[in-house]
Amino acid sequence: MAQALLGALVVLGVLSLLIALSGNSIGQGYRLIVQGAIGIPPSDQLSPLDAWDAVLHDMTLLILTGLSVAIALQAGLFNIGAAGQLLMGAMVAGWIGTRSDLPTAVHLPLTLSLGALVGALWALVPALLKLYRGAHEVITTIMFNYIALYLTHWLLMEHLQDPTSDVPRTAFLAETAQLPPLGSFMQTSWGFVIAVMLALVLWAVLFRTVWGYEVRATGANRDAAEAGGVPVNRRTLQAMLLAGGMAGLAGAIEVVGTQYRFFEGFPADYGFDGIAVALLGANHPALAVVSAWVMSALRGGTYYLHIETGAPKEIAVIVQAVLILYVAAVYLRKRRVEG
Amino acid sequence: MGDIFDLQLVNTAMRQATPLILAALGGLLSERVGVINIGLEGKILMGAFAGALATLLTGSPIVGLASAMVIGAMFALIHAVATQELRTDHIISGVAINLLALGLSTYLYRQIILPREERGESSVVQGFAPIRSEWLDSLPILGTLLRDQTWLVLFAFVLPFGVLWALNRTRWGLRVYAVGNDSVKARTMGVPVKRMRYTGVLLSGVLAGMAGAFLTLASADQFRENMSAGRGFIALAALIFGRWHPIGALVAAFGFGFFEALQMRLQGQPVFGVQLPTDLILMLPYLLTVIALIGLFGRMKPPSDLGN
Repeated sequence: MAQALLGALVVLGVLSLLIALSGNSIGQGYRLIVQGAIGIPPSDQLSPLDAWDAVLHDMTLLILTGLSVAIALQAGLFNIGAAGQLLMGAMVAGWIGTRSDLPTAVHLPLTLSLGALVGALWALVPALLKLYRGAHEVITTIMFNYIALYLTHWLLMEHLQDPTSDVPRTAFLAETAQLPPLGSFMQTSWGFVIAVMLALVLWAVLFRTVWGYEVRATGANRDAAEAGGVPVNRRTLQAMLLAGGMAGLAGAIEVVGTQYRFFEGFPADYGFDGIAVALLGANHPALAVVSAWVMSALRGGTYYLHIETGAPKEIAVIVQAVLILYVAAVYLRKRRVEG
Repeated sequence: MGDIFDLQLVNTAMRQATPLILAALGGLLSERVGVINIGLEGKILMGAFAGALATLLTGSPIVGLASAMVIGAMFALIHAVATQELRTDHIISGVAINLLALGLSTYLYRQIILPREERGESSVVQGFAPIRSEWLDSLPILGTLLRDQTWLVLFAFVLPFGVLWALNRTRWGLRVYAVGNDSVKARTMGVPVKRMRYTGVLLSGVLAGMAGAFLTLASADQFRENMSAGRGFIALAALIFGRWHPIGALVAAFGFGFFEALQMRLQGQPVFGVQLPTDLILMLPYLLTVIALIGLFGRMKPPSDLGN
């Protein structure tokens, strides 16, 4: 408890400093950040819905990428590759979603599931390399992020590009592949509901089933789990497939629910933010929803601060980094004895 | 084909490789004492920013370079304290440092450098001048390779040999081996393990900061948001590809620099009648590193005490 309070003080201290250094009064800065986070518009150009919409939209992606990192960590693997998995899912969704020869009833489900599937496969390769060749998954998933970046860009330019456009992007999605918005004129889609439901389902699966227990046992102590009869390799691979699937789905949902196309410079950074979401939520699927809300509110809040005063939006990034460091240093210390 | 592969291409490759070599050597010094360093990217970015800002304020690229090295060391110090004192996971600390550097450099850029531009002051950095010598230019091959290069390029290509010498021939180097292979045994033998680790991590920050300074003081002439653009991770790849050996890292970093130069040169030109997609060339360092990690180019052996 004292540690949590100290953490809050550290974060508020950093935030206050950044607000002050950007030439604003701290009181005014916090007022704007809180307004942006809970949806009270600071000026008449913005409606409360805009703020809520931005927060819910970010939450959708952060829940899914947070789940991605959290599941992998539960099984003992560090998935730095959510960004690449997200990109692969988004690219596939942009490809399948723009086809017009698919039956209406299956178009959207197919687009979403193929996005998730390709994300899953993109995570499976590093997991296989780890298990059978001993290649450290942190390094391979980092490399896979960049491979995904260049591969999706190459595919976009060579095969998926909308021929009628000069901009590197796919055509607009077929209507049958679009996921409807949560309310009219919102960028948040029903993907938000999917993300929250998945978090609850994963909570149940990880903590209320034998499979989930075995995954957590594998992550907690691989040798002990194996001695206890858990098929550790299979559980690791399954967890990593699920992790990649979540990130791939995040990319697909962003395409079918918000952007309606895949394009150059697709926002893959949500994959890295997933690391912060997972750590802050102690790798618990339900807590990922809460920590995704904290991160999204912070972003939404600093965005309002940015619009009203011109203060750099990156305040949110700095605070997020400080949060990760604090959580890791205080709660996630290695249990290993000095040596 | 003659107009694509020539000595000028090697000249560009050397320039592209310079920050990679410096950062890879930094990563090597840290990983050789057992501290995983995925925060190179962030330290390069902070170095690039600090180098640009200090040079803008003082007019002296030497001050810029020194500031970049100091800021790199400061960020490395965060990593050292987090991993050695608070026993934070090395990966998480590295991720946080990259994020902190991205946020802080962009924040400060918008608070300090952009307003200068808006006031009409130039944000173009007067960095290091290239070495000019008629004698050098007249040399047959070396003349072309070194044309318009700054001293930092030369330094980066000589440094790996210095590091190799220090690792193999000094007491410090032997202690690095000892700590990297088995820190418990090293401590029993009276090696100051913690001090060795601090030194290694801080040196990695100094070198990564220097790599960043190269970007703003000798390559591009101004700071741009997130301008490190993944170089820290390519350097990490070079370090792995070079099997944690200074000369291996030099060769790998040069190879990766060569891909970048080739990609810049090609810009869609066909080679041997085949159109090589630039995306696939840029992907090669990462792909090759994965292949190397699988062991297809022989067994990879990281320092055995890495990450503890």
